Amino acid sequence: MNYPVWQLEFLGGGFLIAVIAIIHVYIAQFAVGGGLFLVLTEHLARRRNDQGMLDFVRRHTKFFLLLTMVAGALTGVGIWFTISLLNPAATSVLIHTFVFAWGTEWTFFVIEIVSLFIYYYTFDRLSKRDHLIIGWIYFGAAWMSLFVINGIIDFMLTPGAWIENNSFWSGFFNPTFWPALFFRTFFSIIIAGLFGFMTASFLRDKKLRTTMLRYCAKWLLVPFILFLGASWWYRAALPPHIEVIIFQKMPQLRPFITLFMVCSSLLILGGLVMAIRMPSGLSRSMAAVMLVIGLMYFGAFEFLREGGRRPYIIYDYMYSNAILKKDMDLVAETGVLTQAKWIEHRRVTPYNVQAAGKELFNLLCLSCHSVGGPLNDIRQQIRMSSPEELNLIFATMGRERPYMPPFAGNEFEKQVLINFLNTSMRK
Amino acid sequence: MDAVSLIPAPDAIPVHWFWLHLLLTLTTFLHFIAMNIMLGTGFIAFTSPFWRGNNVMPLNAHIAKTLPYTIAFTINLGVAPLLFLQVLYGQFLYTSSILMAVYWLSIVGLLIITYYAAYIYRLMDNRGGMAHLYIGAAVLLLLGISFLFSNNVSIMQMPESWIKYFSDRTGWLLNFSDAALIPRYLHFIASAVAIGGLAIALYFEIRKRRGATDGEEWIKLGCKWFTVTTIINFGIGFWFLGALPESAYNPSTPGGKIFFILVVGSVATIIPSVASAQTGRIFAATFWALATVLLMTLARDILRLTYLKPFFNLSDLPYVPQYSSFIVFLAAFVFGIYLVGWMLKTVWNSKEVA
Repeated sequence: MNYPVWQLEFLGGGFLIAVIAIIHVYIAQFAVGGGLFLVLTEHLARRRNDQGMLDFVRRHTKFFLLLTMVAGALTGVGIWFTISLLNPAATSVLIHTFVFAWGTEWTFFVIEIVSLFIYYYTFDRLSKRDHLIIGWIYFGAAWMSLFVINGIIDFMLTPGAWIENNSFWSGFFNPTFWPALFFRTFFSIIIAGLFGFMTASFLRDKKLRTTMLRYCAKWLLVPFILFLGASWWYRAALPPHIEVIIFQKMPQLRPFITLFMVCSSLLILGGLVMAIRMPSGLSRSMAAVMLVIGLMYFGAFEFLREGGRRPYIIYDYMYSNAILKKDMDLVAETGVLTQAKWIEHRRVTPYNVQAAGKELFNLLCLSCHSVGGPLNDIRQQIRMSSPEELNLIFATMGRERPYMPPFAGNEFEKQVLINFLNTSMRK
Repeated sequence: MDAVSLIPAPDAIPVHWFWLHLLLTLTTFLHFIAMNIMLGTGFIAFTSPFWRGNNVMPLNAHIAKTLPYTIAFTINLGVAPLLFLQVLYGQFLYTSSILMAVYWLSIVGLLIITYYAAYIYRLMDNRGGMAHLYIGAAVLLLLGISFLFSNNVSIMQMPESWIKYFSDRTGWLLNFSDAALIPRYLHFIASAVAIGGLAIALYFEIRKRRGATDGEEWIKLGCKWFTVTTIINFGIGFWFLGALPESAYNPSTPGGKIFFILVVGSVATIIPSVASAQTGRIFAATFWALATVLLMTLARDILRLTYLKPFFNLSDLPYVPQYSSFIVFLAAFVFGIYLVGWMLKTVWNSKEVA
């Protein structure tokens, strides 16, 4: 209501942010667990005086640096850019509420960059002790980044007492902060094992390759048990209405729940298979498949978490279409076209009824629906519903359809929007 | 349609705006230094072989080695000012970003390509041939990204241009109607090349003091780039000044007076910097050049306030104090400086084994 709407039609409906966020979070979690993997593997190599293993750590660090420092860091900036374009009002709330949490995370990001560069370029230059300390500093900073970001991300799902008191600390240490922190920490260790498979499978020395693949399998399988425990804790910490939305009321989320369950089994099975001695070509292919399964696994979780927030972007505070919950009655009374700032057709006439309908669609629907795109395609959904069913959808939004916000405008605007959908989107 | 009616309402800030502005200015200054070194040294590495041929390859090997670091730090040090800019001017920045959304989002992809091109350039043994294409691609992309940043700043500062949204809502707007856009952009690019030249001189000066004997030629070359580009930038700077609205430098207004003093101050500091570079006093030249960058950063802040004065004052921002998270941030910041300092000292004092 406050900002212009970027008319992103085909890639709308959450597709753009989903792609960038899933790739980023996957790499960013690798940046945490991978840091622990590097330093603990170096400890092991030095204790065993195993030059082959130490060389593996060095090569893995190069891969780690190139992936996390470039693609990881920049997709993180990409998420920031994307959310500010797609939902500037919610971004503004997150930035203003947590400016110093973001700032603190940035200081850890500086430490990560400096320590990772030093770690990679000083294997032969620093003493063993100093090199390992640098490795631990990297991991500590990376985990602290996770700690801070975790507070902000979970605030969006469960803002808790912040809704009443607006306190930074209530929002940050929100009801799902701790289970989510453990959940993400264990998952980051699992990802470290998955990426470890990738570089280990390229080792030429058969014996070392088998040793390292088995070693990486432990990184996948051991934290998995803890991860499942944290998942259960996370679910238990969700307020009941969010749990109902995720597991009962949103049929669109069922495939992701199934995907999450199937990938859990596949990851365990794959981890066990990777521990078996295999030809290098096969282990490389398996490692690549495991990475993709891990990505799908995490993607499914992210879809569930995002879905659980519906119909809000910040739970119980701001709806997906950026209307504040507290403003809903006022907007319904006075009308969206009166309240929104970036409106060209405030008065609807027979000559601009389509244009006004499109403005209403942009403001109220475009944040969740694409137009002809891969996610939540409005055209497809309109074609599947008769005009009477469409009227029924509008009548049940926010009630029998709890994942949709209640219709925000007045009765006349509702008819203008329905007319637009029936005439322009049914084609 | 009235531009004022389009300006979104800002959210509340948790500490007095002065602290946020101080952090914005400080981190912008640090970002500018890193950005100037990155773009400037990359530009010199790309263009020098055109007239110096393969003679410049030893220098390019050093630039290739450091370019991934400078890109990493430019991005990292860009995150903080972008954060503080959003807190203070989010209602303007989000709007301008949406108006040019496609270009704005493309920056992320372009930066990833740039970064990998710089890494490939580093990893290649021969800096001519194909490698020259990689550094060329990286530099051209960086120049493009800089232009997009200049555009965003231009749209952000000129709410009167926002009306164009109603003719194109798909994020393909740029602000060529701003007479200051091109000179502002060129002023920044020329500054980057100048500081890049000085950074090369400083890098080899430090190596020389640590016993290296291969840098004299590059110190001279860096100083030459610094001097020539700075002189050219005087001309661009006057063009930029001429393109600004009169209110920006009108001495009868407080903002105009401060801007005028800062511009005069930056001229007064860049002259001893160039003179020091010409006489081989690289550390003195660097000191004065940093002072110039700081003064120009402050001038830029004042200029933004002047542009936005008809629409907004920082004191208009809603303010709901919550200082506890600020204190935690400051503690983390100090701790971060200590840790980074310790790590750099440890590397500096280490003897190269291999």
